[in-house]
Amino acid sequence: MTLDIRRSSASVWGSLSGLRNAQVVSKYIDTTTCIGCKACEVACQEWNDLGPVVTHQVGSYQTLPTLHAEYWNLIRFDEREFDGGLAWLMRKDQCMHCDEPGCLEACPAPGAIVQYANGIVDVNPDQCIGCKYCETGCPFDVPRFSQTTGKMAKCTLCVDRVAVGLEPACIKACPTGCLHFGTKDDMVELARGRVNQLKGLGFAQAAVYDPKGVNGTSVITVLAHGDHPEWYHLPADPHVPYGVKLWKKIIRPLGAIAIFGAVLGAFAHYTKFGPKVAKGSSSDTDTNAPRA
Amino acid sequence: MDSAITVARDREDVVVGSEIVRHRLYSRLVHWSVAVTFLIATLTGMPVWTPVFGWMAYLFGGMTVARLLHPWAGIAFFIAVVIQFFEWISDMRLEPWEKDWIGPRLTRYMRYEEDDPRTGKYNGGQKLYFWAVALGALGLLLSGLLMWFPTAFPRWLTELAYIIHDITFICFAVSLVFHIYLGTAAEPGTFGSMTRGTVTRAWARLHHPGWYREVTGEEPRPAKR
Repeated sequence: MTLDIRRSSASVWGSLSGLRNAQVVSKYIDTTTCIGCKACEVACQEWNDLGPVVTHQVGSYQTLPTLHAEYWNLIRFDEREFDGGLAWLMRKDQCMHCDEPGCLEACPAPGAIVQYANGIVDVNPDQCIGCKYCETGCPFDVPRFSQTTGKMAKCTLCVDRVAVGLEPACIKACPTGCLHFGTKDDMVELARGRVNQLKGLGFAQAAVYDPKGVNGTSVITVLAHGDHPEWYHLPADPHVPYGVKLWKKIIRPLGAIAIFGAVLGAFAHYTKFGPKVAKGSSSDTDTNAPRA
Repeated sequence: MDSAITVARDREDVVVGSEIVRHRLYSRLVHWSVAVTFLIATLTGMPVWTPVFGWMAYLFGGMTVARLLHPWAGIAFFIAVVIQFFEWISDMRLEPWEKDWIGPRLTRYMRYEEDDPRTGKYNGGQKLYFWAVALGALGLLLSGLLMWFPTAFPRWLTELAYIIHDITFICFAVSLVFHIYLGTAAEPGTFGSMTRGTVTRAWARLHHPGWYREVTGEEPRPAKR
């Protein structure tokens, strides 16, 4: 596994550094076999050496209302009534590692968010300036600002483990096999197989969640109720916010050109018209400021 | 009799020998406060805006310092603009005959063809710039606050704030380039009004004949053809 960088935040001109072809990796999350044991939460805290976080009672087994700068992996518990049934839904929530990451797109600090060639999107705290732009850019509401460090924090997909050939801590800890890790292609195949199985079991709406709006994610999720991703707190059609795209891709370059253009324009004007002096006078002492 | 620079400490629109006091000391200090706070906000904001201007951050010790300074410099800029607004507003009412400064008259002005004997202490372009600065500063402040505390507001509002902050700044920066150019190279004698506070009679006749008449009680000489 190589750690070549595919994309880096705030680079003026591309940042692809890899000559090698790294395979894109992915987590596989099967929400239908998750039992909500939170082993993955504990494994994440332990491996990433994150401190204890004060829990909130939200009326379910859920540890916290949302992700937290020191809690990157959260099982969301939801109850939904549907046509003649009740679904008790558990989904492992964390960074989705988008192929087209909105956080990276929005980030103004060079190199603070990088996407490795293997698809992992990581925050580099050393470069992070704590501006929170990534929070605005993320369609999944994942990055969190840490009051302790003044930097952003989120799941790294255990890049430090993956880089040396280990699977992420959460995957390692899962007791039911609802979590898997491998190449994106393998995980998609696994997910499709599971969806077919679910359809055979009567879940006609079962689907793989690998949203096209962000060109797919490196966390693919099997949903029994695939027609209702919002039941799982997943956006139906996530994409990099249009505001961020307009700002970064159009206004920013045009603005830089306009400012340089204004400077050039002033020079051009001076070259053509020179200073404004009274008609008939030849910029003599009359028009210049007197000496004190 | 006091020299012009002494008079210019606390009085303006008065003739002292061959000079006319245009901006009293307080007025100049307020203007330079606006200029300096804007410069700091610009140099700390532009590297965050686009990496093309990333080098500016090193003037302050890097991106983190720039990001920390920027909102406070912005607040200081806004306060300075508010003070300047009340210092100058009484002279900034746009006369009906000045309305066409948006358009043809601005072009004529830049071609040095604008020659209206009614032009008072400030011409229509300066008045428009004054109002644009006030409006722009408000736009930068409001959008800047949204960007400073993005999680406190709905997502669409923060997205909109980025766009407003950018467009407002671009307009600011482009017009500021011309503001500085006109105040220095293009119109000799103007810069002194912001340093010493004074201008020459000839300068006043050329650029602000209406003001010249008001201050000196003399008719500005008709321009020689």
